Amino acid sequence: MELNFGKAINTLGPSLLGGVGIVLYITLSGFFCALAAALMIAMGRLSKNKVLSRILSVLIELIRGTPLLVQLFYIYYVIPTLLNGILSMAGYETNIQLKASTCGIIGFAVNYGCYMSEVIRSAILAVDSGQREAGLALGFSEAKVMLHFIIPPALRNSVPVFGNYLVMLIKDTSLLAMISVQELLLRTKTYASQTFLTVEAYTLLAVVYLLLSIPLSQMTGILERRLKRMP
Amino acid sequence: MLQIKNLSKCFEDLEVLKDVNLSVAKGEVVVIIGPSGSGKSTLLRCVNLLETPTGGEILYQGEDITHLGKKVTDYRKQVGMVFQRFNLFPLKNALENVMYAPVKLNKIPVKDAKEQAMDLLKKVGLENRAHAYPSALSGGQQQRVAIARALAMKPEILLFDEPTSALDPELVGDVLEVMKQLAKEGMTMIVVTHEMGFAKDVADRVIFMDGGFVIEEGAPQDIFKSPKNERTRTFLSRVL
Ligand SMILES: Nc1ncnc2c1ncn2[C@@H]1O[C@H](COP(=O)(O)OP(=O)(O)OP(=O)(O)O)[C@@H](O)[C@H]1O
Ligand SMILES: [Mg+2]
Repeated sequence: MELNFGKAINTLGPSLLGGVGIVLYITLSGFFCALAAALMIAMGRLSKNKVLSRILSVLIELIRGTPLLVQLFYIYYVIPTLLNGILSMAGYETNIQLKASTCGIIGFAVNYGCYMSEVIRSAILAVDSGQREAGLALGFSEAKVMLHFIIPPALRNSVPVFGNYLVMLIKDTSLLAMISVQELLLRTKTYASQTFLTVEAYTLLAVVYLLLSIPLSQMTGILERRLKRMP
Repeated sequence: MLQIKNLSKCFEDLEVLKDVNLSVAKGEVVVIIGPSGSGKSTLLRCVNLLETPTGGEILYQGEDITHLGKKVTDYRKQVGMVFQRFNLFPLKNALENVMYAPVKLNKIPVKDAKEQAMDLLKKVGLENRAHAYPSALSGGQQQRVAIARALAMKPEILLFDEPTSALDPELVGDVLEVMKQLAKEGMTMIVVTHEMGFAKDVADRVIFMDGGFVIEEGAPQDIFKSPKNERTRTFLSRVL
């Protein structure tokens, strides 16, 4: 068997570099949307409104009980079809389509948002109740107590777990190949089928993923140790 | 200044306070003593509405405060509380702990709030620890920061719930010293404590609670020298 890594690096390499840009864009936007969603879901779950809390816990069960890939398909294929169908019944002929990368970001925001909301929720519950009482006793309202004294330490204590989720998310972007996002896997697959440099192409792909995820998990580790040393 | 009338409090079907009556005049130091589980903390927590009373009323400057709704925060600003476990904000240093509420709630300019906070830290003997985080302070120091933090809101009344119970014995003195100083300056205080020495020296009035009732109240010399009630006598014989 003859391997030609030089050729793969020269020809697939630049294409993968372009893919890295897309992957980073989707990872970062997906992650921050997920973080925002997670905070909102966690607050909703903890709110006194039983209905809201119940609805959100059903949502979390739905998301946790189905594969991410299925959710991405659902957002990409099913939701636009449903929307067009409903609108046509209302007399509007539309052809709504969502950009595949946008679907990816939405999918990650919802999926990771649900998982991370449980992290935030338990971190909030783990904050000593004395903090709440001290805040209330000074004259802060319940909402302000949440904002000033509960959420900051809860988020801070969640940072290491968030780091792990970020690394998972970067790898999960490979699922977007299935809904035609020109990310790393799809580019590699196309290349491999054209050149038959299967071994080289997929090895290179794996290396690129490692180059992305290892520094990230290292950084999380450093951040975690920093936070531990701080007050 | 504060009148508690027929106050009761139940947790589910456990009745923790039963028909408590108590009034506190401006500048008075009232010390509450009693066995564990007698409802002392619950009474204190009802006064600043950390617990909602089940029945009765609490008059603050003549107005019932048990149904304030959203205005409860305005009332709580006037009633400071010092907790057994200090409850300092762990991500803020001593100075920030003290100045945080005035800045956020009363919109005091940061510079002024800082000056005031430094003065308060000086008052509790901790101006040289202003930039230390709670984790780097001893229990006694943390409690003194907590007192300064409560004072920063310029409260009319201060509530103390066993402020020295979580401290090593050698650190108790510093905290009691600060409290004595406050009493001398005319601060109105309700203090739950097991420090009988403090009660004898500083209290204007001592309240003995047991089983959710106020059993006996009076001047410290009367309560400690000639308690009228059998239960007070038993309790005092155990703690003195
Ligand atoms: N949130 C709560 N829910 C249910 N029961 C409670 C709650 N808080 C207090 N209690 C009960 O109320 C009773 C009185 O408690 P409280 O803390 O007021 O007593 P205390 O006099 O302060 O005792 P200690 O000296 O141990 O602090 C206890 O039996 C306690 O178990
Ligand atoms: Mg107590």
